[in-house]
Amino acid sequence: MAIRSVKNLKEFSTANERFEGAHLLCPGCAHSMIVRELMNATDDNLVIATNTGCLEVSTAVYPYTSWDTSWIHIGFENAATAAAGAEAMYKARKRKGTLKDPDAPVKFVAFGGDGSTYDIGFQWLSGAVERGHDFTYICLDNENYANTGGQRSSSTPVGAHTSTAQAGRVSYGKKQKKKDMVAIMAAHGAPYVAQLAPNKWKIMAKGFQKALETEGPCFINTVSACTTEWKFDAKDTIHITDLATDTLMFPIYEIINGHELNILYRPKNVLPVEEYLAAQGRYKHLFKPENRHVIERIQKEIDEKWEYLQRREEAKV
Amino acid sequence: MAEKMELKSTEVWDGNYAAAQALRQAQVDVVAAYPITPSTPIVETYGSFVANGYIDGEFVMVESEHAAMSGCVGAAAAGGRVATATSSQGFMLMIEVLYQASGMRLPIVLNVVNRAIASPLNVRGDHGDMYAGRDSGWVQLDAFNAQEAYDLNLCAFKIGEDINVRLPVMVHQDGFVTSHTAQNVHPLSDDEAYAFIGDYKPVDEMLDFSKPVTYGAQTEEDWHYEHKAKQHRALMDSYVVIDRVFEAFEKKTGRKYKRLETYMMEDAEVAILALGTTVETSILAAKQLREEEGIKAGVVAPRVIRPFPLNELRAALAGIKCVAALDRSCPMGAMGALYNETCGALATIPAEQRPLVTNFIYGLGGRDFAVDEAKRIFREQKGHADVGHITTHVQQFSGLRGPKLGFYESKRS
Amino acid sequence: MRGVLATDKRGVRELGAEDLVGWDEVTQGVVLNSFDIEVENPAFLRPEERPYSDFNSYTATVASWRVIKPVYNRDICIDCQNCWVWCPDSSIISRDKQMLGIDYDHCKGCGVCVEVCPTNPKSLLMFAEAEEPEEALGKWPEKKKKAK
Ligand SMILES: Cc1ncc(C[n+]2csc(CCOP(=O)(O)OP(=O)(O)O)c2C)c(N)n1
Ligand code: SF4
Ligand code: SF4
Ligand code: SF4
Ligand SMILES: [Mg+2]
Repeated sequence: MAIRSVKNLKEFSTANERFEGAHLLCPGCAHSMIVRELMNATDDNLVIATNTGCLEVSTAVYPYTSWDTSWIHIGFENAATAAAGAEAMYKARKRKGTLKDPDAPVKFVAFGGDGSTYDIGFQWLSGAVERGHDFTYICLDNENYANTGGQRSSSTPVGAHTSTAQAGRVSYGKKQKKKDMVAIMAAHGAPYVAQLAPNKWKIMAKGFQKALETEGPCFINTVSACTTEWKFDAKDTIHITDLATDTLMFPIYEIINGHELNILYRPKNVLPVEEYLAAQGRYKHLFKPENRHVIERIQKEIDEKWEYLQRREEAKV
Repeated sequence: MAEKMELKSTEVWDGNYAAAQALRQAQVDVVAAYPITPSTPIVETYGSFVANGYIDGEFVMVESEHAAMSGCVGAAAAGGRVATATSSQGFMLMIEVLYQASGMRLPIVLNVVNRAIASPLNVRGDHGDMYAGRDSGWVQLDAFNAQEAYDLNLCAFKIGEDINVRLPVMVHQDGFVTSHTAQNVHPLSDDEAYAFIGDYKPVDEMLDFSKPVTYGAQTEEDWHYEHKAKQHRALMDSYVVIDRVFEAFEKKTGRKYKRLETYMMEDAEVAILALGTTVETSILAAKQLREEEGIKAGVVAPRVIRPFPLNELRAALAGIKCVAALDRSCPMGAMGALYNETCGALATIPAEQRPLVTNFIYGLGGRDFAVDEAKRIFREQKGHADVGHITTHVQQFSGLRGPKLGFYESKRS
Repeated sequence: MRGVLATDKRGVRELGAEDLVGWDEVTQGVVLNSFDIEVENPAFLRPEERPYSDFNSYTATVASWRVIKPVYNRDICIDCQNCWVWCPDSSIISRDKQMLGIDYDHCKGCGVCVEVCPTNPKSLLMFAEAEEPEEALGKWPEKKKKAK
């Protein structure tokens, strides 16, 4: 396995980009920051499967591809299975001696948005992880169906406005809690599961490398700030992500072998969630007096979750 | 290395077992599958081959048929031989991915053990699933018995993987009547069968890292149409390779296949056009009628449903007096698909050579289709032929309880 | 304005300006090859060493998406590579741990690089698309005093 040094950014920056420009993602889109970092974290050959969504419709539009690796998109729900099928073929051909270069190191990766990961492709992901294929699944979690114009997903947090869970005269946006995908994937017994964010580039790169190195199915939920649907200025993607991790809206942690939980980032200064919410148009309505209670609820749930994660980490169970 | 299996020159296999044996002999690299009646035994038999060292490839038991075909697509794009099996509801769940497989030109072999589609739920054989595949861009081969299920599987790999085709292929057989009925089957030896198919030749494989390749790109209005036309052309042109493979197979085994099978059509006056096990039933009926009543009956059966053998069908039917197209799938609000294909073919020849064409819906949900019923249909066609027009509804339901059900009158002037 | 290290093929076509070939010339199975000829692992090849095919989006430009553009000031830059790691459009060109400049064929002008640049004043600033880089450099602000 050819790991890239991520000791510091200077060394990391010697990686030779395999994700090309002139893709069609929005200016400032975090999807590509995450994808670039994954691809730069290793020099191994990659077979990448991608679910339908912003990443896919922006990086392989005939007659262009932005991928300098093997890449496949089948449908909205089945990238995990596409990667699993390719991985199975790799094993079979390796055994039979029909690979062109049997010694070339290769990693199998699948990308999905939260729509495909938490909702429509959940079963495909669960099946592929249960079967133990040697691959890494990365969810680009922007908490909505961005490609189709910003509808709710089961990853959309409480209080967010989406086009199908709207804030209006009698509604404060989405009522239901975000699904805890990290816990669900850990419960599969996957050897490596993590939640990472691109603002913490080194933690994220190391997490990617750990997942790629680990034999068996690994799952990583990455926070992917969406300038278009979260409604913030394109230049602020990293700033918003900083707020996400420093308010603990998105805690950064890993779970090894389904139980050993390690917190990977502890903000020196935990910020009130209001600061994160106030920076995005999708939460604007929460600052109306009648919706204040929702902000309180969100803060309370963040505090409880953080407490829980810390206890899990301490208890080492 | 996988163990070889010693086979007798005549084995007693049902259609499922025959298909599973063909998959084993093809040394498929990846089978990704999900069980459903009546195709389950193909998957189970293959599983027993795996468990006993007869398979070198990977056997991936996924969590749904959609995933089965998704896994097949991922595996095929990675440059090896791929196959699976399904029926009915499983086939319906696969449909999204069937189109994706053919659009990506991946030569996967899918055994479809034909079964009715719910609702109401039914595990028995009809052609609802087979018909649902007809626009999906796959080559569709239809086996009428267990021997053919075996033979056509071997041919399917060779057709689909041919460098000039590169399309996925379905091999159909009727649920239960073929899939679960033990019959004599003459298999090839493992070595002969593999030699007939040949090694898999990868095209645009994802595991050749010296040529990174992107599969599944988006195309909008400025590109989609050209791609679909190219794919259609490849399927249309695949008949050349199909003929060549059938010829090679005949040389090897003496068993002859044609894209359109015809029986007693040389001097036929009336005919039945059908698919699946109904073909053998109709042949029996035609023979009896010829002997007993002097009715010159014949049978026409598309062996290859896609690409549709339009020229051959037209040639077979030109000049006869009346043909009944039998559809074992309810067209719901229209004429049956075989009827439409037939009329389409016949519309391209001079009117005086065109037979009358009627349509029967029959055998839904595994309702038996007996020789007597075929005979009754032949006699009725003879009646139309004698008076020179269709004397019944154009579409009728055959073998149905309750008042007679039919639609459309023929218009005589 | 091509920016540094522009190779022959980089950004030579506007999106949508491709040859609309007929059905007989589109690729079989809609596949797209990233390169024209066989390559060693591209992870070991710098972009300027790669045999990009016309299907590679590297050969296309999205420069027309920009209304404002980042301008790079070498004199202040500390080569921290923040801009490199967070540019969503692979448009910060770094070689041998050095920031060399901006790939204006692929930069969409999002401004992320400017936001994450840590120097004072910043080594990257946004200017109107029409502004000449030399002029922009002439307008560079002074070091900002920290507000007490
Ligand atoms: C079976 C199916 N259902 C619906 C769609 C429409 N669709 C395409 S992408 C998408 C949303 C994608 O959301 P997500 O997975 O979160 O990715 P994002 O675009 O947000 O990155 C939807 C609803 C589809 N392509 N296929
Ligand atoms: S809509 Fe959001 S996720 Fe999609 S490309 Fe734009 S910023 Fe990225
Ligand atoms: S403006 Fe955006 S796209 Fe352009 S170089 Fe800076 S970060 Fe990259
Ligand atoms: S972020 Fe600023 S200082 Fe750092 S490398 Fe880029 S331009 Fe130079
Ligand atoms: Mg999303």
